[in-house]
Amino acid sequence: MKNIIVKKSYKDLRSGLLFALPAILGFFIFSLGPMIMSLVLSFTDYRIVNEPVFIGFENYINLFTTEGTLFYKAIFVTFYYVILSVPLGVMFHFFSAILMNRKIKGKALFRAIYYIPSVIPVAASCMIWLWIFNPERGLLNYLLEMLHLPTSQWIGSEQAVVPSIVMIAIWMAGNTMVVYLAGLQDIPKSLYESIEVDGGNALNKLIHITIPMSTHLIFFNTIMGIIGGFQVFVQPMIMTDGGPGTSSLFYSLYVFREGFEHSRMGSASAMSWMLFLIILVLAGLFVKLSRKWVYYASE
Amino acid sequence: MKKLKRFSGLVGVVMMSIMMITACSNSKSADVDDKANKEEVANSANEKEEPVTIKFTYWGSPVEKKAVEDNLKKFEETYSHIVVDAEYIPNEDYLTKISAMVAGGDAPDVAYLFEANALAWAGDGELMNINDFLEKDPDLKREDFLDNIWYDWAPGKSLGTNTAVEAMGLYYNRQLFVEAGVSVPATAEDAWEWDEFIEVAQQMTIDANGNNALSSEFDATNISRYGVQFGTWWAPYMAMVFSNGGDYINEDGTEFTLDEPEAVEAIQRLADLINVYHVAPSPAQVVSMPSPVVGLQSEQVAMMIDGQWNLLDLGASGLDFGIGVLPKMKESVTLILGSPTVIFKSTEHPDESWLLFKWLANPESGLELHKGGLWMPLLKEWYEDPSLVAKWAENNPAHPKEYKSAMMDQTLNNGRPAPIYYTNGFVEMDEIVGAALDEVWLGKRTAEEVLTEISDLVEGKLKGRY
Amino acid sequence: MLVSKKNTRTVVGKVITYLLLITICFLFVLPFLWMIRSSVIPLHEILKMPIVWIPENIVLSNFTQALTVLPFGRFFMNTTIILVLSVMGILFSGTLAAYSFSRLDWPGRDIVFYILMTTLMLPSFATLIPTFLGWRSVGALNSYLPLIIPNWFCGGATGSFSSVFYIFLLRQFFMGIPKDLDEAAKVDGASHLRVYFQIILPLAKPAIMVVVLFASFSIWNDFLSPSIYLNEVEKYTLNLGLRLFSGMYNAQWNLMMAAATVVTIPPIILFAFGQKYFIEGITFSGIKG
Repeated sequence: MKNIIVKKSYKDLRSGLLFALPAILGFFIFSLGPMIMSLVLSFTDYRIVNEPVFIGFENYINLFTTEGTLFYKAIFVTFYYVILSVPLGVMFHFFSAILMNRKIKGKALFRAIYYIPSVIPVAASCMIWLWIFNPERGLLNYLLEMLHLPTSQWIGSEQAVVPSIVMIAIWMAGNTMVVYLAGLQDIPKSLYESIEVDGGNALNKLIHITIPMSTHLIFFNTIMGIIGGFQVFVQPMIMTDGGPGTSSLFYSLYVFREGFEHSRMGSASAMSWMLFLIILVLAGLFVKLSRKWVYYASE
Repeated sequence: MKKLKRFSGLVGVVMMSIMMITACSNSKSADVDDKANKEEVANSANEKEEPVTIKFTYWGSPVEKKAVEDNLKKFEETYSHIVVDAEYIPNEDYLTKISAMVAGGDAPDVAYLFEANALAWAGDGELMNINDFLEKDPDLKREDFLDNIWYDWAPGKSLGTNTAVEAMGLYYNRQLFVEAGVSVPATAEDAWEWDEFIEVAQQMTIDANGNNALSSEFDATNISRYGVQFGTWWAPYMAMVFSNGGDYINEDGTEFTLDEPEAVEAIQRLADLINVYHVAPSPAQVVSMPSPVVGLQSEQVAMMIDGQWNLLDLGASGLDFGIGVLPKMKESVTLILGSPTVIFKSTEHPDESWLLFKWLANPESGLELHKGGLWMPLLKEWYEDPSLVAKWAENNPAHPKEYKSAMMDQTLNNGRPAPIYYTNGFVEMDEIVGAALDEVWLGKRTAEEVLTEISDLVEGKLKGRY
Repeated sequence: MLVSKKNTRTVVGKVITYLLLITICFLFVLPFLWMIRSSVIPLHEILKMPIVWIPENIVLSNFTQALTVLPFGRFFMNTTIILVLSVMGILFSGTLAAYSFSRLDWPGRDIVFYILMTTLMLPSFATLIPTFLGWRSVGALNSYLPLIIPNWFCGGATGSFSSVFYIFLLRQFFMGIPKDLDEAAKVDGASHLRVYFQIILPLAKPAIMVVVLFASFSIWNDFLSPSIYLNEVEKYTLNLGLRLFSGMYNAQWNLMMAAATVVTIPPIILFAFGQKYFIEGITFSGIKG
């Protein structure tokens, strides 16, 4: 018995490594090198025009202790964004996928419309949304006024700027819906049929089949939402430049400014690695928690 | 098996394409390498015989790009031994790109550069001291240039001047003012006092029912046309701060002085235009307006305080517009600004780089851009000699009749350099100041409160005066 | 009794579905409609209030201007080349790796997977300059190599995500496929390669479609890498080209919208056709029962 098991494990080892070879190679060539270099840089004073000078943990310490440091604000803004956008996004797109999966006419059209925002070039999307958010002439307030609902200053307001950016993110994430949609296709119809036979209704189907069978994708999208959410950069850079005040100073914008506008690449590298640690811890926690509720059909 | 065949077929096609692309780009870089080698040999042998290639990077709108390209072509024709490898980089990516180039040791020879980076990199020894070239040059002297446009990072060390002079001005939709029967002052002597200015702005601000801001039925929540629009970045408010007798830092560069009464008053007055008098749109509204020019054209705004460069669009728009001097608080001034062109110290061809630099500085060669309204000349004589003035500031759509007195003379005589020229640490200070002032523009706090509060913090970032 | 109850429920269910979908899609599509509308009117009419959805004078000059000021056809071609080659690379290395991490059991498998995942968590800025320097040292600047090659090893960064993302995605999908089929095939003596090709890949078509979409979306919108590695305007990608429009002193919205419209149409058409083929009609013929 023992021999067979051992053999199997090693046999798969060869294939396993072989199959994963491109990715592993890629990691070593394209990721590991630059990552190590940036880690080293984070311990130096490197301003692009000079030779890096080793300064130990100074960059990291400065992050926390410099007077007026924006580190905490940036973390806060980014956390706020992630806490808003990830649950909202996951739920919204998941239910949209369910809707799009039902037997209705015009499915293709609905799906295409849902997907369009994600192919509009980001530069153009930002312009469009700038107009949508215009307090006086923009589409949103226009619609809200017509419905006699309260309006907002959107990206011009310190409170509403992050939720506004969340809105844009949800609008642009048509491909998340597609992920769920694809997953829904993989759910065997037989499972639904058996519930119907037992007299179950749509709600039962949802709770007992659809959601559990999609947990592996919910897990995926949540993790990616967290990882991606912490790295949001383009919208704040183009639309708000961190404002009003510092209420939309996303962490990656903060890093970009430090590294390129202030030319302090060493410090920026340190900031990036701080974020890395934070994401690592959070993602790790989430993965551990996920064991409890994620179901893999292959296990 | 079929799948495998198809798969390998695909792989084959892909490999081929990759090889093709590699070949193409390799041959290109091979060419460049060859050229570089040839130059090395040539340079050591004979100075001006073999073609020298210098690298130049720049940004700008498509119009600017074309004008610069034409300009460079003329340069190459005049100096047949020099080839300019010009690389256009879009403004938003310019910083990342040029940082990457410098980091990789591939810095260009001559380049546009943002003010802050230019000063920082010069301090680190990365840029040439233009004064050295000027001293040796027979034709061009430092005195030929305007006074207030030099970026000196240390006494006697200058990285250059603006690429072109820019200043702040007041633009207006002439038709609207004719209808209202109001004339806009075009000389420093006639400049509006601040209260006069507020009144004019109120008169020109109209709500959806046609009432202007002076009337008792004015509905400030439903404005269809604003009297004036101004940006909330440092240029418009510093112009007013200067006008009121204030400054960004003190004489010896040890204190941050925006919290002094004159500066505070100037900023507060500007903010009041938005929140108290409702004659100017708030930043949230401004950020989503396509461009100031469009605002004037579509009559959403009657007047605009912004930079000289808008003339390019204004001239091309066909709008009948006028230029006036900025309203004054104590003195009539304007603010001079403009990012520099620099020469990198790492250049292997300093003499040729200097030739390009000189060429670009000469208004004659970049005449199209001056006529088009984007640039103002760097050299004094183009402001003083009538025949030269006529070449760029007269008889074209970008320069209405008031231009000479309202903008040209004003810049020459009453132009004050922006703080970025002389404040070491400006970028970090402005980051804090800009963010803090947002609350003032929103009308939530007063300028005095905010500026006093951040004063120490900002001063901590001040490294001195250049 | 059961039948009529079911019918009402179905009808109500359908109506609700339609209502929700129409509302959502209406909101989603409005910005797009505005984009198209703004692309056919002159600049100063864009912000006129109240909003004119169907403009009176339609101007096509925006298109001609936008497309001639910059070589958008060229940009489109460039982006397509990069896209196709990169996506192929991602599919190649990604599916292989995902198979290894989900279907094969070998010592150290999960550790290696998690190590690879960590590359996702470092913001791409941190590695921007080091990666750039690396490519420079092999003379690959001003070419498409830095944009394409890494994807063949799932090691590149497309947009803001490292391509390792796709390994993760595919692994998740693969893990959702029951193992019975593999086992059956292996009992029949199939090698891993065959299982990979003939069983997993076909079943994972939805996942592959998703990867194609995601990767395309990412590469389409990426401007950071192209801006650093490409020196000549003719080599630019679409997004980079679009950013050319917002030069330092101008912002011509009407032209931007025109260009963006042109750029958006092909992917939409592609998606509209592709989604039907890939997402639907994949039945588990082997799994029923």
